Amino acid sequence: MSTLILYFHREWLLMFRNTGALVQPLVFFVIIALLFPFSLPAEVNLLQSIGGGVIWVAAVLATLLSLESMFHADYQDGTLEQAVIHQRNLPAAMLGKVIAHWTATGLFLSLFSPVLCITFNIPVDQFWVLFVGLLLGTPSLTLIGAIGAALTVTLRRGGVLIAVIILPLYIPILIFGAGMISQSEQGLETISQVYTLAAILTLSLTLAPFAIAGALKATIN
Amino acid sequence: MQAIHGIDKLPALQSPKIIRMTTPFTSNKSSNQNPILRADDLACVRGDMVLFENLSFDLSQRRCLHVIGANGSGKTSLLRIICGLNSAENGNVIYDGTLLGRSETARAEMAYIGHKDGLKNELTAIENLRFQQRLEGLSDENHLDDCLAQLKILRCADLPAQSLSFGQRRRLAFARLLLSPKRVWVLDEPFTGIDTQGRSLIESICVQHLESDGAIIMTHHQSLDASSISPFKDELILNESGHHE
Repeated sequence: MSTLILYFHREWLLMFRNTGALVQPLVFFVIIALLFPFSLPAEVNLLQSIGGGVIWVAAVLATLLSLESMFHADYQDGTLEQAVIHQRNLPAAMLGKVIAHWTATGLFLSLFSPVLCITFNIPVDQFWVLFVGLLLGTPSLTLIGAIGAALTVTLRRGGVLIAVIILPLYIPILIFGAGMISQSEQGLETISQVYTLAAILTLSLTLAPFAIAGALKATIN
Repeated sequence: MQAIHGIDKLPALQSPKIIRMTTPFTSNKSSNQNPILRADDLACVRGDMVLFENLSFDLSQRRCLHVIGANGSGKTSLLRIICGLNSAENGNVIYDGTLLGRSETARAEMAYIGHKDGLKNELTAIENLRFQQRLEGLSDENHLDDCLAQLKILRCADLPAQSLSFGQRRRLAFARLLLSPKRVWVLDEPFTGIDTQGRSLIESICVQHLESDGAIIMTHHQSLDASSISPFKDELILNESGHHE
């Protein structure tokens, strides 16, 4: 547990001293989502109906954008080697790192999503649906994405490969997350989607740290 | 295992010993101590090039094994195999009677300084050390200052690692070795980018480590004969170039 906290704390320190990397995913998220209202016909119903899906796609792309840098700096400066040599708590260490990464990307995106809801004219009572969906879905996006980032850490331009490996695994999260909004628009219960996203998150949280540690050990070799 | 059995048939070696690869070799043969670390029939292949094969040696406490070889002869690969970063094509590394791959304790007893310093640029010198110290479960702030002072970089304690010179970064990487006692130090080109004063400092901490029953395996392109490590030194010479399979 202390390893997890130590890595979490160190990642936050690093991110606050490199604020460019901290705000980049949020800016990217907002730009993608804002381009849609500008480029589509000014029909209230159209924007409302696609708004939830667009915000989810923007969240997926913003997460994907931030993944390449997750382990690359550690690989370049040798701190990853040091972590792998003393690998007693490598899964816990990597989980701490991934949680810190999520708080700087997924959590910020979730907190900012109500602002984007306004631009799509999404009713206020559906704000929380999108917020809860993103809050449950984005940690899974980061955890699963981290496996791809670990597998491609030694590649100079691994971003495209991460997308190819990871995007198919994002589809269930996208379906259930965006599905929450459309269900809610029709006045239907969204609890089943909430449970499914929570189940995916539990599974990712349990298995992904070990997969990340295994991938890092294999790729550094 | 044949290579290891073959050690017993070797004539008694005098210290320092020089051995060429492919011959079973034990450092500190004259003492009856069990080796801390034993490499057994190691082979390393990169692409279609065999860097080394049938490489066996023992490393005992209070000995420094100096791995010598031309560029590309597999020195760094050997060190990375020994600390478990790379896997060997064949053979095993045995630490205190336990296979390295299966022993978390063995890895915890090893310290590695490679070509990369293992420092975070955005963190200050003391923050870098503090992070390592906390990972070891220790929390003595005064000891951090002592480590920096021993490497003569205490005045850089609050500077970000990115603003340190190359030599200061190397010294900071070495300060990490002093944080907690590790039995085996694996050092890849430890004196690169270090000035004369820094080199003698690093040599002195290496000697302290050896005198306190530690062991070192290092690569270095120049002779260690004139250094203070010399009395503890054995040599392992890798072939100048590998061969294709």
